[in-house]
Amino acid sequence: MTGQLTIDFDLHEGAVLRVLGLVERRGFEVRGIRMTEAADGRGALALDVRARDASRSLDTVAGQLQRLHDVRNVTCIQGVAQ
Amino acid sequence: MAAHAPSTVPDTAPVSGARLVVEALEREGVRTVFGYPGGAIMPLYDALTGSGLRHILVRHEQAAALAADAYGRVTGEPGVCIATSGPGATNLVTGIANAYMDSVPMVAITGQVATSLIGTDAFQEVDIFGITLPIVKHSFVIRSTAEIPQVFAQAFELARSGRPGPVLIDLPKDMGVGAAVPNPVSVERFAHPEADPQLIAAANALIAEARAPVLYFGGGIAIARAERALRDFAARTGMPSVATLKGLGGIPTDHPDFLGMLGMHGMRAANMAIDKCDLLICVGARFDDRATGKLDTFAPGATVIHIDGDPAEIGKLRRAAVGISGDISKILDALDARPAHSEHWAALCRRQKAMWAMSYDAPGSGIYAPALLKDLSEAAGDDAVFTCDVGQHQMWVAQHCRFSRPQAHLTSAGLGTMGYGVPAGIGALIADPDATVITISGDGSIMMNVQELATLRRYRLPLKIVLIDNSQLGMVRQWQELFFEENFSEIDLSDNPDFADLAQAFGIEAFTIDHRDEVPAAIERLLATNGPILCHVRIDPRANVWPLVPPNSSNVQMLEKAK
Ligand SMILES: Cc1ncc(C[n+]2csc(CCOP(=O)(O)OP(=O)(O)O)c2C)c(N)n1
Repeated sequence: MTGQLTIDFDLHEGAVLRVLGLVERRGFEVRGIRMTEAADGRGALALDVRARDASRSLDTVAGQLQRLHDVRNVTCIQGVAQ
Repeated sequence: MAAHAPSTVPDTAPVSGARLVVEALEREGVRTVFGYPGGAIMPLYDALTGSGLRHILVRHEQAAALAADAYGRVTGEPGVCIATSGPGATNLVTGIANAYMDSVPMVAITGQVATSLIGTDAFQEVDIFGITLPIVKHSFVIRSTAEIPQVFAQAFELARSGRPGPVLIDLPKDMGVGAAVPNPVSVERFAHPEADPQLIAAANALIAEARAPVLYFGGGIAIARAERALRDFAARTGMPSVATLKGLGGIPTDHPDFLGMLGMHGMRAANMAIDKCDLLICVGARFDDRATGKLDTFAPGATVIHIDGDPAEIGKLRRAAVGISGDISKILDALDARPAHSEHWAALCRRQKAMWAMSYDAPGSGIYAPALLKDLSEAAGDDAVFTCDVGQHQMWVAQHCRFSRPQAHLTSAGLGTMGYGVPAGIGALIADPDATVITISGDGSIMMNVQELATLRRYRLPLKIVLIDNSQLGMVRQWQELFFEENFSEIDLSDNPDFADLAQAFGIEAFTIDHRDEVPAAIERLLATNGPILCHVRIDPRANVWPLVPPNSSNVQMLEKAK
């Protein structure tokens, strides 16, 4: 399963690593990354991801990302990219 | 999240960073910290003298983190541990992971090389911020002395609120040495969102219709301090209940409708009830593999209602027909429906509980650990706190001791950290100096933090250690016997030191027993002694933990002790 995660977050020290580490560790390969800085100083990451096995759910990983202190908003779209 | 009133630090003369750390800890109500000094953290140790903080000098940083973990479990407030940079910081890692896996509030403070040296492979530089990223709820590197009060206030709020967890603060040496006028502090206080009334209504409808409901609760009860609401809900609905390892005590373990722990070493009545139930109400638990066995055969006929403080847990491993996240007590109080036709089921569960009750008959004159633990726990009473290590003895504690509150059972559940027991005993005694605290350890586990006997001695902490010695890595041996065709590999510990002599060398009273006639007097001596004491109990090396669900099997495929 492939998908795209869009994450808006505060650009605090380590935030990008935290986000990428979580996605990888929770069972997704990161296949594409685009990062931008918004005018308000927040970061936005768009990740193309691919599940490592069929048991992984994008919604679950989105919920886990949402739990990170730096993360403001997460959206996920299943089945896009690549 | 709700915004909250800022508390301001008066802007007077510049204050050293280390002093600001001490003041921040005092503002959070911290009275005791656990730690070990070294180069990069020396400015903080300099400021500790003359402060109102009590520092417990452990003999290995891992023990500082594990003691802080136990302190957090007992008080609900973050336990604080301190270590220097490099090896001091890496020694904390296991304790931080332990707190993360069991959602325990903790603030870990690590020294770091000076800012200008970070990234240069300086002496005792490690990227502890990077190393701990996956095992902290959040972490900070102090980049400005003036920000110290803000970072600490935020760290404590994060550690204790919502789903608690460890927060790491890395303090470069120059940040502690330098002085600054602190910036004002403003912290957002966490508040659970209100539960959706439609979901409450849907859950009530499912409860009303249920014929065979089971309440499955876990560590989330203690985190949310939701014991009262849980017990009211169980009483109102008359529902049989089962607990995870961390849930034990949420409902008193001797309650007639409490069926016991579920899962791998759970009670058969608990696993059977889950297998046959038509409604499973999971509260503050997370469908962990040790609890569920093979997940796709867990509660196969049940509709699931999942209630948790952490929305990310709902639906993670098992789809919930109704998932409600928020304040657990409020949610349970709003579930006022009662199952209309479940008396037969409750009675059946009670009969099964009686039928499969543990037996304490054991042949021979040697000591049967389950019987000893049961007698000890009854003699110690419900106010006693048990801490344990990891292995067979840990499972025997869960199976045979009685608990009427989760804070009385400090066990390393998620990480399964051998070496937790003694440091946890230290943390529990610091948190509650008048408590009777008993550590149940194994001959493998005790050696993982044996140096902390010196800490017990130094602070005269009256920990009662029961060391169950089977001269083996018992749990590993049991698995090799059952699942690796008795190919015993690296489990022999028959060359252990004499543990009573060892404890005495640390200045701790100790004695050995190996015959069951000696048990009553040993229990009496343990409970009557005012200082630290170790009772070394020799048991049969072949003793196993029963019942047992083999790995990757359904919970109903339980193996029993051969009669
Ligand atoms: C730090 C650590 N290393 C290894 C393990 C794997 N392990 C789990 S139980 C166990 C044996 C424990 O032996 P002991 O403390 O003597 O307890 P027993 O099982 O004999 O009661 C081991 C090695 C672990 N849980 N933790």
